[in-house]
Parts: sequence; structure tokens; C-alpha cells
Amino acid sequence: MKISLNWLREFVNIPHDANAKYLAELFTTKTAEVENVYDEAGLWKNIFVGQVLEIHKHPNADKLRIAKVSLGKKTINLVCGGNNLREGMYTAIALPDAMVKWHGENEYTELQQTSIRGVKSEGMICAKEEIGLEEGVQPTGGIADLSAIKPEVGAPLAKALAKNDTIFEIENKSLTHRPDLWGHYGIAREFAAILDKKIKPLTPKIKFPEKGRQIKVTVKNPKLCPRYAVVIIENIKVGESPEWLKEKLRAVGRGIHNNMVDVTNYITELLGQPMHAFDLNNIHEEVIIRNAEENEKMITLDGKTRTLSKDIIVISDKKGIIGMPIMGGQNSETTEKTTVIMLEAANFDPVSVRKASFKLDLRTEAAQRFEKHLDPNLVELGLKMACEIILKICPGSRIAGPATDIKNFNTKSIKVDLNVARTQSMIGAKISMPEMIKILQKLEFNAAKKSSNIISVIIPSFRATKDIDIEEDLIEEISRMHGYDKIPSILPELPTKLPLENIERKLKYTARNILSLGLGFTEMQSYSFYGAQEISSSRLPEELHLKLENYLSSDQTHLRISLVPNMLRAVKQNIYSFDTMKIYEIGRTYLNGSEYFPIEEKYICGMIIESKKSGAGKIAEAKEIFYSAKGALDNFLESFGTPDLNKKRATNHHFYVNPVKQLVYTNADNEEIAKVFEIHPAVLKNFDLEEVCVGCFEINFSKLALMGTFSRKYKPIPKYPEIKIDVSVIMPEEKTVEEAYRIIKSADAAYIANVELFDIFKDKSIGAGKRALAFKITLRSDERTLTLEDMNKIQKKIFDNLKHSGGVIRGL
Amino acid sequence: MRQLFEKLKTASLEEIRGAKNADALRQIEVKYLGRNGEFTVLIKGLKDLPADEKPSAGKLANEIKIALTEAIRGRREILEQETLAQESNTEFFDTTVPGAHYEIGHIHPISQMQYEVERIFGEMGFSIMDGPEMESEYYNFEGLNIPATHPARDMQDTFFVKNKFHDFHGKMVMRTHTSPVQIRTMERYGAPLRIIVPGRVFRYEATDAGHDSTFNQVEGLLIDKNISLAHLKGIMIEFLTRLFGKPIKVRFRPGYFPFVEPGLELDLSCVLCNMKGCRVCKHTGWMEFMGAGMVHPNVLKAGKIDPKIYQGWAFGFGLTRLTMLKYGIDDIRLFSSGNLKFLNQF
Repeated sequence: MKISLNWLREFVNIPHDANAKYLAELFTTKTAEVENVYDEAGLWKNIFVGQVLEIHKHPNADKLRIAKVSLGKKTINLVCGGNNLREGMYTAIALPDAMVKWHGENEYTELQQTSIRGVKSEGMICAKEEIGLEEGVQPTGGIADLSAIKPEVGAPLAKALAKNDTIFEIENKSLTHRPDLWGHYGIAREFAAILDKKIKPLTPKIKFPEKGRQIKVTVKNPKLCPRYAVVIIENIKVGESPEWLKEKLRAVGRGIHNNMVDVTNYITELLGQPMHAFDLNNIHEEVIIRNAEENEKMITLDGKTRTLSKDIIVISDKKGIIGMPIMGGQNSETTEKTTVIMLEAANFDPVSVRKASFKLDLRTEAAQRFEKHLDPNLVELGLKMACEIILKICPGSRIAGPATDIKNFNTKSIKVDLNVARTQSMIGAKISMPEMIKILQKLEFNAAKKSSNIISVIIPSFRATKDIDIEEDLIEEISRMHGYDKIPSILPELPTKLPLENIERKLKYTARNILSLGLGFTEMQSYSFYGAQEISSSRLPEELHLKLENYLSSDQTHLRISLVPNMLRAVKQNIYSFDTMKIYEIGRTYLNGSEYFPIEEKYICGMIIESKKSGAGKIAEAKEIFYSAKGALDNFLESFGTPDLNKKRATNHHFYVNPVKQLVYTNADNEEIAKVFEIHPAVLKNFDLEEVCVGCFEINFSKLALMGTFSRKYKPIPKYPEIKIDVSVIMPEEKTVEEAYRIIKSADAAYIANVELFDIFKDKSIGAGKRALAFKITLRSDERTLTLEDMNKIQKKIFDNLKHSGGVIRGL
Repeated sequence: MRQLFEKLKTASLEEIRGAKNADALRQIEVKYLGRNGEFTVLIKGLKDLPADEKPSAGKLANEIKIALTEAIRGRREILEQETLAQESNTEFFDTTVPGAHYEIGHIHPISQMQYEVERIFGEMGFSIMDGPEMESEYYNFEGLNIPATHPARDMQDTFFVKNKFHDFHGKMVMRTHTSPVQIRTMERYGAPLRIIVPGRVFRYEATDAGHDSTFNQVEGLLIDKNISLAHLKGIMIEFLTRLFGKPIKVRFRPGYFPFVEPGLELDLSCVLCNMKGCRVCKHTGWMEFMGAGMVHPNVLKAGKIDPKIYQGWAFGFGLTRLTMLKYGIDDIRLFSSGNLKFLNQF
């Protein structure tokens, strides 16, 4: 919202030497955020009124001329291309350092002294748009012509044009709870309190006649319209508004219409009370405030046909709708033909107004005010002030009769007791009772000492707008006006106490450290949503998903039940730059359960990606990326300290899991804790990732964290040396490595300390359906040093066992 | 014989000392100790000596052989050292060849920042709390003194979940702030309370470089007897100063949030220009940081805490924004992009 400092000065004596930035800062720290300060004089620094004395040809350019210009005390030479340049003309001259806007640009830049086509120019003759002057009569390609007003030559432009206003732009959201600040008078009142000045009261002198023309008004639902007042003014002449009125509206960014509309807008900007002027001749018999019929139509002032619904409040006559609180109807607007108006000021139910405003997408100035709890007393004030101005600017007009004023609101004032000690304790500053009373009185609260610790406070109507009704609200008034900057900074004296331990959170950081800093994975985060496309691409069942009622894009419509789809999208995005990737995400999945609250589980999903095109990918294909993922998962679980899990291949796994290359890890209760798998080739194809291998593991982190971690126990370091032997054996393919381990270990459980697979090899030379497995076997005894003889004995036993199981020992 | 031995010893030792390199030394070794070496030949001649001279001559010969062998070994060691030293000095070695690549992963910048925030508040005795991301209208709004008619309840701010309704809880929403956890924690633990709640929140609003539909917040809550706004200032200065590693100032200004009263905004002294004024702080020296205030009595009541006995403050700041500030990130959408060119920088 834009606020004119000059306008504020009509009500409160703000010192003229007060710096605009300082005032803005004061308002920001005491009341509400001032987002921007526009200082007209500051905007035109180094721009002066000049008079063209002589014009000469430019030696090097046909379209340019050299103007000798008087700035009063001195004369300068300027290069100018304006086609309306003439001797004797008054114009605007920008000197170096002035802020100017070049043609076609939005931002102002500092003017530099330059030479144009070899001729030095000591400044610039400005076109209106170059210095942000309002549009006026100025030929295309021309320069500002100020000759009509004959300003003083050499005077600063701002002074010559009497542009000395400062505009404060206040952040609307910070005024949400302050309907009283939606007009200049309210802001002036706030400044008066801040600066400890008197506010000039608004006392319209006008008296409505006791007899005369009146219109019948019916309010169908009093709840939706706490107050509705109209008065008829006759002998109106609709036309242009006087300059002072236009200037005020322009200053706050309002458009200029006709004098009737301008006056109502002026009252809105002054009091925050929206008003409307109807052409009475277009109103049929009576006025009815009611709800619209379902699908009832009206044409609003902007010429658009609106289809309304039952919850929208309308102003109607005998024939139909003539307006809404948020915008008037085209059928009743004031035009040049209007001679008699019905001037309306009213107060509507904020919630209904707000709903209608969003439903119809009409965020008008009126809507923004009506949707707050406006003080119903403003209705009368607004109506009187508007009448007063209309009578003044429309000579001959007269009020035709008494005002019709329907009141459906409670006039009882709110009383609140303020506890001084509690106030001090909440703020943390020693503010005395008299100080508190003074602050409240400055804000026009009726405050008086009730007892040694209690101030009794009566809330003025303009703050009894759902803004102030409990003690805490008054504490806010005290603390902000006392000054938030005066509140000291104190560390609370609280008992030394260990915080509650959030074990899951702690383990989450452990998991991150292992994955990122240990296993070399990079953590990513993705949205909690994906779309129908991702669901079908991942072969997930849509019916398991919760859906959003409102969503931003078609790829964010469903709540994720797996981290995989969004991660695959990330893979796709990165694959052009990275041949190999190791990524993971820790995030929640959302699954609809039988309860109202869905099941939110935290998952870790890790992926190892290798492009088939890259050298690394060739290995991946040969070696199976599944094993890379499995290794990562196993190493993670070991380092994390997870107690042993059962591993088995699931028979019912589907979705995005490759049905063959998958392994499920379960706990003692047979709950799935993790799984490792390759992404189903069809899913990779759906994500346009046919050129990569993706090994993946998913961990139900919520469940993993509940399992806790095993406590590590020291095992004595073996006393006797170990012997390592390598065994390479050709086995039928269906003999798993696990079986081979078992076969080898059964050779001598006591002395075989470890068996480790270090190579798998398949080749034509080995034969179809067979593979070569190479093991490194560690032999050790806890009682003695093993001899060569021991070794030979065990090795022979191992060979025999393997041979029994269909193995052929290689290299023998 | 003895003289011959002594002469040979002197000559050979001198030659050994003078050997310039390993080859020369080997030649000397062969010359004296080789199969037909001068010393070997002499020893062979011992057998022709008279029997009474044999033992002493043999002993001498043995001593000299040991001396020679030892001298050669010593000289060889010296020469080897010299050679190594020389080779190390003259060998061409390109130190600009990049080192071997060790792949270390990266932790998401928001996770890193969250860890820092949790650590600092944890040190001040704050517990870390958590709550659901899908929240009921009751916890997200009503319980926080945001009635159904409040502007914040409008569709433009909140994601609603389809087909979820509860008589008491209302519709289901994606939580728009971490504040619902205030009430959940009050209900569960009662007063006094000292908690922070970092977490993911959601807003139904158009995205651009400065706004995303998903971001992270940190909620703070301190409830006890006599807790004041002055304590909020104290705690926040402590936290921010530790976080940024330099003195940070804060200022309060009025702000409106239905769940606090008084409500305020907290600005911090611009961490980029140290209050000298820059583009980021719009030349004010201050940066908007968070909303805060004294917990509204209606909220305490919703959390079953008696507002006549207990009071305190709550705050909520953008963890995502703080992370952007720390690293100078100019597009919030990068955090959820999964772009490794971004993530690998942290």
C-alpha cells in the first residue's frame, strides 16, 4: 500500500526536516514494514529547469543539434536530438550524476558527461519518460516542454513542479491484523503516537436533512452486512476531478476516473473504508443486500460477465444485481449522463468477501479492505466526508434527504485489564505503570490505573476489530511502542539438563556419514510428490498413493510411496554429465493406512549408476552392478552396526525391482528392513535410461533405527600366524557361492578362519553351465603355529570336498 | 708373508676408499677377493708355510679378510647413498600430475546446515523434535489459533490431500510450517519445554528462484515460567553468533502471526556486508530472518498448558534460506533438483 507523506501531514505535524528514511525506519520498527521509500526530490537530484538560448547545427550529425541553455547562473552547451527543440523553450536539464532512464529500459542509471559525435555535452535535455515525469503532451521523439508553466530558470525541477512528496510503500501482509491502517488517517494516527504529536480530528460538518428523498434498503442476512448506509445526492455533474484530488490519487498509485469515482477512491485511501457511487436513475425502486442465486450473472465495472454462487453477497434492486462489495455493476455505474447518485458506505462480513474475491479472482482495493474486520463506525464518517467533498467540487449539488443507515453490529466497547508485572515479565524489560498508561493513551486507548498492578483499558472502536481483545494484545502495544530495540538481550537462567535424546535423528547423521564420507555416495533431496507418469513408469500401483487435491504441476500430483521414481529422474538429468554416479536420499514416504493419519516412514534409497557406454559400464555389465549395490548395503549395515539380518530372494517382488537380481533383508520378526536390487529393465526403458545399469538399495530407516545397533566387543588379536591359500575351482553354475563357502568350511571348521571369494570367471574354455570360482582361504589355529603339514592336510580336504560336489580344481 | 699381507691390506683399503662408484668397487673386490684375487692367491699360499707359522698367519689373513669385506660393504653403502641422493636430485619429476582420485561423497547442504543448527541448540539444552509432514487442519491451523476464516487457510497457500477427512481434525494438509509440532510436543511432554523442530514444509505457491513449494524450516519453542522476549534476543544472538562465527546483532520489529502475541519479526545484521549496506540487505544493513513471538494463550491451551502459569516464545526460520545465505546460493530450486553439479560442491 502506498502512503503519501504530504497527505499524512494534513493530519499530523511531522517535522519537515525529518528524514524520510528515518520515518520509514521508525514505522518499520514500531508498527509495520515499510518496504520502499520513494522520495520525489531525491529522484530528481541534479535535474534543473533550463531555458534554450541558442540552437546550432551539430558539425558531424544531421539529426543532432547543439543547444546553448541557460541554467540561470550559468550557461552550458548540450547535444540534443529532440525534434521539438526550439529557442526560448523551458525544459528539464539533467546534469552529470542525475538519475535517468534510457529509452526502453526500466532501471535508472547515473548520467555521465560524454561527447556525442565529437561534441562535448555538459548534460542532457530530458524527455519526460527519461526522468519519470507523468505522461503529458509531448511529441514523439521530443523533449519535455515546460514552457506552459514558465518555471524559474535554474530551479531544481522538483521545486519548480512542486514535487516534494515522499511515498512510503508498506508491506500489505504486515497490516493483515490492522484494518485501521488501510488508509492515510490511520497511518497518521500511528505516526502521531510514535512521534508524540497530536492528531487532527476528522469532523465533517455536514448534516443530513431530516426529510427528503430516501431509498428503501433491506438487509436480508444481518450477519453478512453489519452496516449499510446510503444517501442520495442530486444535481450532480459528473466530470473531471479537481487537481488536488487527482494529485492525491496519483501519488498513491490510483487511476483517475470521474469526480464521483475519484471521491469514493479518495475516501478509501483516506479512511480505509471502501465506498461506491451508484447512478440512482439506474436503480429500480429499492436496494436489497442478499446472497446471489446459484449461477446468477452480473456484469462488473470492468465489463466482464461474472457467474456468481450462493455464498457471494450482492447489492440488488428490484430487477437484479447492481453491484457487489468487491466491485460495482456496470448497469449502475456513474457516467457523464448521471445527475443523481446513491452514495454507499457499508460494512460486510469479511470472510464472505474474501471467499468471493478469490472465487472471482477479483483482488480489488475494496476487497482487500472489506475482508478485514473494518470498524463499522467508519461507514458514517466516510459517508459524511464524501458528501462534503462532492458538495464542494460539484457546485449546485445537494443532499436529497436523510441517510438510510442500517446497523447490525454491537456497539459495546471492549474492556481489558492489563497486569503490569505480567507485562514486564513477558517483555523482559522494566517498564513502569505510568509509562504503560502513557503509551496506551497515545494510541487513543482509554487507560487508567485500577490497582497497584492493574491498568484498566477500554479499546477504541478502530482497534476493536478482532485486533485487540486480550491482555497479550495490549502487551504487544506496550512492547512495540516502548521500543523493541530497548528490550535487552538476556540469556535465560534455566536448569542444566541434558536434552531428550533423539536417537533416530542421531542415527540419521551416522547413516549420512557412512554413506557420504565412507562409501562415497552423494546425498540428494527430491520432492515428496511425483505424477501419474512417474507412477506408471515405475510400475507402481496408483491406488496405493495419496493424492493432492490441489497441485502445482502434473508431475507433483501424488504423494510418494518410494524414493525411487524421483531419483531415477535425477539420474536421467545427470547422466549426460556423469558416466558413473553414487547417490542416495533420506526422505519420507507417505502411505495411506487404516487410520486418519497416514503412515510416514523414513527411507534411505541408494543408487549406483554406471553408463553402459563408458569404460566403467563395461565392467558393470560384466560384473553385475547388483553386487556393487549389495556390497554398499552390506558395508553400510556393518558400519552402522545393524544386528544380523536374514537375506533371501523375494518371490513376490514386483514394481521397479528386477525379479531375478534382488535380495530382501528381514529382521527376526520377518519384517522387511532393506532390499537390494537392480532396477527392472522395463522401468529403465520408461525413464529413458536404457543406456545405464542401476543397482539400488532401499532401507526402511524408521525400522532400521528401531532395531538399534549392536555393541561392539573387542576380540583378542590372534596370537599365531595365519596361512593363506588360494583355491580355484570350476563348479556347475547352480552351485552358489554360499554353498561353496559351506563346502570349503566343512573341510576343517577349527582351522579355516576365513573364506573369501576373489574372482568369478566364465569362459568357453571352462564349458557351458560352469564357472570358475577363486577363493582366498585363511587358515589359523588359536593354540599353535600351523605347519606345512597341517596346511597340506587341510588343503587336500578342501579339494576333496569340492570335488565331491562336482568341482574341478584348477591348476592341478 | 706378514709384510705382504700388511702391504696388500694398506693398498687395498686405500683403493676401496678411493672407489668412485659401485662398478669400480666391484672391480676392486674382484681384484683382491675374487677367485684369483691377490688376497685369495696369498691365502692359498698359506698352506706352503711352515706349520708353526700357519696359525698366526692364518689368523692375520682372516682378520684382513674381514677388514676388507667390511670396508667394501661400508664403501658400497656410502656409494649407494650417494647415488640415491644424486638420482633424487637430478631425476625429472612432474608434481603437477593430478593425484590419484579418491571418491568422497557429499552431504546435502541442507543436511549439513541442519546438523549445525541442531548441534548449537542442542548445546543450549534444546531437544530435537519431529512430527508428521502430512498434518491435520487442526494441528496445522486451529490449534495454532488460525481459525477456518483466516487468510492463511486459503487454497493458495496450502496443499490439501484428497479424500482425507476427520470430524475433529478436518482435512489433511501438507504442513505449511513446523509449528504443528509445538502443539504435539506440548501435548506429549507438557511444560516446561525447550525444543527445536527442523523439518520439511510445503506451500502451494508458484515457484521461482526465491520460492519453492518445498523447503525446510526450524521451529523453536521455549516454555517456562517468566520466559520473556529479552530471552529470545539473548538465545538468538548466541545461536547466530556461533553459527556464523562472528558477532551478529538482531533486531525485533512488529510482525503478525496468529499463533504468537506479541508477534514480531527478527532481523539479523547483514552477514554479507556487516551492516555497511549491500544489495542483498537492500542497503538497510538488516536481513529478514524469522517470525517469532510470545506463544498465544490459545496455543498453550491447545497444548494443555496453563497460560496463567507458563509463558514462552516460539520462532520459525527458514533453514533453506539460511543455507542459501551461508553459501551464496541464488536459486532455491537447486536444493531439490538432484543436480550433481550442485551437490558435489558441498
